[in-house]
Amino acid sequence: MAIELHDVGFTYPDGSRAVSGVSLRVEDGERVAIVGQNGAGKTTTVKLMNGLLKPTEGEVIVDGESTAKRTTAQVARTVGYVFQNPDDQLFAADVRAEIEYLPRYLHWDDAKRETRVARAVELTGIAPHLDINPKDLPAAIRKFVAIAAVLVSECRYVILDEPTAGLDQRGFALLGTLLDRLQGEGIAVVTITHDMRFVVDTFSRVVAMAAGNVIADGPLPAVFCDDHVLNRSRIRRLEVAQVARDLRLGDQAVSIDDVVALIP
Amino acid sequence: MTVTSLQEVADGYRQPRSLGNPILDLNPITTLCVIVALIVTGIALGGWVPSLAVCLLFMVAAVVAGRGRTYLPLILKLWLGVGLILFLLRALLTPGHVLIPLGRIAVTTEGIEQGLAFACVVMAICGGVTLFFEFVPMRHLTLALERLGVSPQASYVLLASFQAITDLGATAKVVLEAQTARGVETEGNVFMRVRAFFPVLAPVFLSAMAATEERAIALDARAFNSSTRHTSLVELRRTRRWEPVLAVALGVIAVGVIVGRALGWF
Amino acid sequence: MVLAELQDVHFTYAYADTPALKGVTLTLEQGMLHGIVGLNSSGKTTLCGLLRGIVPSFHHGELTGRTTILGRELADWNPDELATTIGCVFDNPFTQISGIRDTVFEEIAFGLENLGVAREDIITRVIQVIEQLGIEALAEKNPNELSGGQRQKVAFASIIAMDSDVIVIDEPTSQLDPEASEAVFEIIAGLKKLGKSIVLVEHKIDLVAEYADTVTVLHEGRVALTGTTREVLTDPRLRSFGVTPPQVTELAERLAASGRPLSRVPVTRAEAVELIGERMREEVGGGYRTA
Repeated sequence: MAIELHDVGFTYPDGSRAVSGVSLRVEDGERVAIVGQNGAGKTTTVKLMNGLLKPTEGEVIVDGESTAKRTTAQVARTVGYVFQNPDDQLFAADVRAEIEYLPRYLHWDDAKRETRVARAVELTGIAPHLDINPKDLPAAIRKFVAIAAVLVSECRYVILDEPTAGLDQRGFALLGTLLDRLQGEGIAVVTITHDMRFVVDTFSRVVAMAAGNVIADGPLPAVFCDDHVLNRSRIRRLEVAQVARDLRLGDQAVSIDDVVALIP
Repeated sequence: MTVTSLQEVADGYRQPRSLGNPILDLNPITTLCVIVALIVTGIALGGWVPSLAVCLLFMVAAVVAGRGRTYLPLILKLWLGVGLILFLLRALLTPGHVLIPLGRIAVTTEGIEQGLAFACVVMAICGGVTLFFEFVPMRHLTLALERLGVSPQASYVLLASFQAITDLGATAKVVLEAQTARGVETEGNVFMRVRAFFPVLAPVFLSAMAATEERAIALDARAFNSSTRHTSLVELRRTRRWEPVLAVALGVIAVGVIVGRALGWF
Repeated sequence: MVLAELQDVHFTYAYADTPALKGVTLTLEQGMLHGIVGLNSSGKTTLCGLLRGIVPSFHHGELTGRTTILGRELADWNPDELATTIGCVFDNPFTQISGIRDTVFEEIAFGLENLGVAREDIITRVIQVIEQLGIEALAEKNPNELSGGQRQKVAFASIIAMDSDVIVIDEPTSQLDPEASEAVFEIIAGLKKLGKSIVLVEHKIDLVAEYADTVTVLHEGRVALTGTTREVLTDPRLRSFGVTPPQVTELAERLAASGRPLSRVPVTRAEAVELIGERMREEVGGGYRTA
């Protein structure tokens, strides 16, 4: 089971070309970070994975079936998508109703609904806020509510758009735990992010995009140790990796651990 | 964009704003008065011929002003969607001399006459309103009003209301997209769409309300409430002398026709 | 003169049960870049609101203690005067633009129009700011149709255009990519050079370390730490207030933990390079490794 993009291109109705020739494969339980400058085609790429956009060239296949033949909602029940801004997503009067919205919409029986809701609530740590209107919660908690509202479905893949934006250290730690738990359940996570610290600490595979193309895809060094890729995708090494480089300790360091090991 | 073209953008603001056509460059208040006077005259003259003539006049004006390509299709849709229905309702449901019997209802001579008159009157009004918004950017209208002494706060309310319509539409679209992205069906038949759309309506309005408060603070930070006399980057062209004359003349004609009809002169 | 002086300031929003600020005492000098960091809901935005006067004049609530802005008590300021003396950009880019202007050029001009500046002066100033931020390509675009990151830049440009002496900025780079964030910090540093005072809320601690003169850590409505950037960011208690130290500081901690401490704890990259380089030269006695 996998999400596969085969030589996918997408042109918006106004004629602007967002991505071209993108080929990617996301396996079950995998974690992939997509990085690149604003406007590099990251959001278009994940919207193609989730069926919100249908490719204008090439093919997107989710668990063996082309997204072109299914409605967005059908694809979305396999590939969940958490928007960058939780306010675009949340609308119910309290958090519980928000999480229960999809199960009720899909007419799940009580037992199934309760199990799925309990799991989503537990994973995201929002149990203390169930009776509160999402609009009255701090932005960081709204973010977790939005994640829970997507996780309640039976999706096998979750797309997170800029999950660390606006998160403090506490939220950051909670997100890390959540990603580990999802991986344990075999759920794949694809994230778009500008936060390189988050990428280095939490991901082992990274996809760099520039001008609508995938320019690198592989383990962290494939992006963070390649000047050509870094320049084209406008991505920076971590500060500490840059320190190692400035000291001419080599350009193979990616994380703080790597740098600690390099210093005599 | 190169430095020279930023200069070009800036140069655009150094001279009065022109939309490149003498009709479009009329003072917005003149345009408003002329359109209103024409509609009133058309209706006051009675029957369907004057109203239809006004409708046609608006179409000609749109073409002359170079806006035919957007105005005419819109008007055609209005005629088909509104005008035709109004005509048919009257034509079929007005009792009188039966022309074509259709079971329990019938097309009558009186019906056709009344239907034509009613449809043409409504279309003259619709056509005029549409033409006004086709010709006059809201911003120009508020600039003209400010020149007449209307406060910037009042023109803000006007502009912001129109922008709010666009913004609400955009927000609703994003919220619906987010619902689709979590597995709620928003494609397909009308029933599906309505079912998905209903629950998001309230929050879309609520978030717009919440945004209003933040925007008020942002406006304040931009000195919007400063008591200094505000200046304007965009300048309208000077109103030509004959414009008020034209507006008043057409106004007098309109009033004349009303009075004339009331007194039974024609 | 001192930019702001707060003495035992408490503030509770009218609709809230618990206070947002609980006894804040803080002095911010003029002509500096002050970084404000801390967990979400620790009082950062409320503090910004207070400096700008919208707390309590717009966001009502119970305010006690003494707040002095530029030598004048907060209550003695005319709100309009305070609004133009202290420029302010909040973090939601969608509500920080007027929404009633057709082009970015006009949007940036909006504040100047309200101040009654003459047309030719507005044009000169707007061109200057557009070039300063490098947003020439947006000049003719409709501000209501821009992306979040683009709006963030336009909102920032619009406040810079008004040339107030003090600028309060709440997370100016939340929607920007790393390159654009750094560009925004360069601009902020440029404003400081022009003599402006800046109060900046920002989560990106490496950038704060690089550019700020002082850092204040808020925690549950109180000032947990305040002082020079170096003092605060190397304070061992920093983490306990929910703030991760800069990466190079973390690196130094890790080196110290493994028995290889540096002579001083760095907070910026340049410092780290200098300190580690120094150590490497001493230790290896000239056996400098090259990659």
